Amino acid sequence: MLRKCISPNASIIKFIVLLIVAIVAVILPLLLQNPYYIQIIIMVVVNVMLAMGLVMLLSSGLVTLGCAAFWAVGAYASTILVMKVGLNFWYTLFLSGIIAGVIALGTGVVIVRLSKLAFTFVTIMIGTIVYLVVGRIEFFGGWGGIVGIPKPDPISLPFDVIVNFTARTSCYYLIIFLLLVNILVFYALYNSRIGRAWKAIKLNPQLAETLGINTNRYALAAYIIPAVFAGIAGSFYAHTFNVVEPDSFGFWKSIYIQVYAILGGVNFYILGPVIGSMFLTLLPEIFRVAHEIEPLITGCILLIVVIFLPGGLLSLPQYIHGSTGLEGKQNVFLRILRRKKR
Amino acid sequence: MVLLEIKHLNKYFGGLLAINDVDIDVQGLEILGLIGPNGAGKTTLFNIVSGISKPSSGEILFKGKSITGLKAYEIAQLGIGRTFQATTLFEDSTVLENVLTGFHMRYKTGTWEAFLHTRSARNEDKTCRFKSMEILDFMGLLPLKDEMARNLPHGYQRILGICLALATNPTLLLLDEPATGMHPEEVSNLITLIKRLRDSGITMIIVEHQMQAVMGLCDRLAVLNFGRKIAQGMPGEIRRDKEVIEAYLGTE
Repeated sequence: MLRKCISPNASIIKFIVLLIVAIVAVILPLLLQNPYYIQIIIMVVVNVMLAMGLVMLLSSGLVTLGCAAFWAVGAYASTILVMKVGLNFWYTLFLSGIIAGVIALGTGVVIVRLSKLAFTFVTIMIGTIVYLVVGRIEFFGGWGGIVGIPKPDPISLPFDVIVNFTARTSCYYLIIFLLLVNILVFYALYNSRIGRAWKAIKLNPQLAETLGINTNRYALAAYIIPAVFAGIAGSFYAHTFNVVEPDSFGFWKSIYIQVYAILGGVNFYILGPVIGSMFLTLLPEIFRVAHEIEPLITGCILLIVVIFLPGGLLSLPQYIHGSTGLEGKQNVFLRILRRKKR
Repeated sequence: MVLLEIKHLNKYFGGLLAINDVDIDVQGLEILGLIGPNGAGKTTLFNIVSGISKPSSGEILFKGKSITGLKAYEIAQLGIGRTFQATTLFEDSTVLENVLTGFHMRYKTGTWEAFLHTRSARNEDKTCRFKSMEILDFMGLLPLKDEMARNLPHGYQRILGICLALATNPTLLLLDEPATGMHPEEVSNLITLIKRLRDSGITMIIVEHQMQAVMGLCDRLAVLNFGRKIAQGMPGEIRRDKEVIEAYLGTE
């Protein structure tokens, strides 16, 4: 009933919602004077970019547990290029994306041919290898990491305007811009025949193959494109927080990114990661949960969502309309309710 | 004109010889029935021709060119479509989306144009959508185009499987037991559809167990037993063939 009322004006409502989101995104730093909050929001956006990449790979039916690897590659590549080679940040921002993409290409050519399960395990290994390489080798700063990474270089715009990146606020606008580019690229991909091919591969690889879809090549694309954006996000991260250390790129980071995607809902390719990472990062902050018990809270939230709302937080409206987020799988919650009625 | 030629094909599964020196030729615009008892190697043969599994030895020529050992998507791009014995669809997509996926390799605009949503790419998308609906209309599924594939009745799912293969614009269509689980009325409907497909210019190989359908539909039959071709010819000849009768009824 509700859906019927909305549908004629759906595009107008969509537009208004987008406008409000855009305005909020622009004025948010003015509302939050405290740089600490802005820092948290920057971290949320970085997580959103990483989780969106994970969901892209997932949309072609592959699970990665090593998506922090390419983030780390980007961060370290950018750090080394700026501090040891002396390049300008704005070049390394894109170079680190390319480097991450090339590494993804090199590994991906081999591993997309593996079975789904083997693919997942190899991604864990790649994540671990990157973690160990940057930790063990002194050139990359060792376990202590590299500190004192310079802020992004100032850029001069026409009319003698110079934008400095010493303040958190300008970094915030930069990452929002990067996120916007990321969303636009992903949105264009999902809404073309490329996205349709990914979905076909996910639903039935053999059938996709007999329909003339080169499944390996498309899976490879779904592996490389997120890696490029993860690399760019890594470069941004290194220069915004001025420090890279192996522990922030470890296995747990990959798990957390997974959690953000699942929590938001893996069938919502763009909005899912946004909601998921906002929810999980902001909730502990709002309730000022101690860092020691934060994983406990995260785990509980995840369990509750996976059991009662398997389609993720965003499937809540669908759930209220009577269908579960994941078609065909009966909702545990509904089953429990029915059992009680008897 | 010979469209497909299978020469001295062998396929081993470990020590088991599943296809034993099979020679089959398919003429253009004919309907060739492939029959034989269970386990005779009919589906294995289909899998080899469509590139899902590789032959151990032998050669397959399509339009005079060898397609032996090519990947499944390459063979599909050359114009061989197939359906599966078990209903195989993108079950979580709508009927229309299913057929649209089959159009994938027929897009002429490049990947970059598709990504940038240029005018030509958008127009082509529209054209393919329209063509998908034409196929659905042809096969009588148009009223169900927005339904989830998994919610269709079994008979319609089988027909949607054929629609998917048709979307790839095949010259040769391999139908693996299209009438499985259909009731007589649906079967006769299917026979009319298949005849109309042949009239529109598609050559077909059909694996089928329902003899009535096979005899009424096929121009020629090839009979497999234990991986060996034991007969090939007109339905009338096959019906009288001694070896075929033995294979189906057993020897005394």
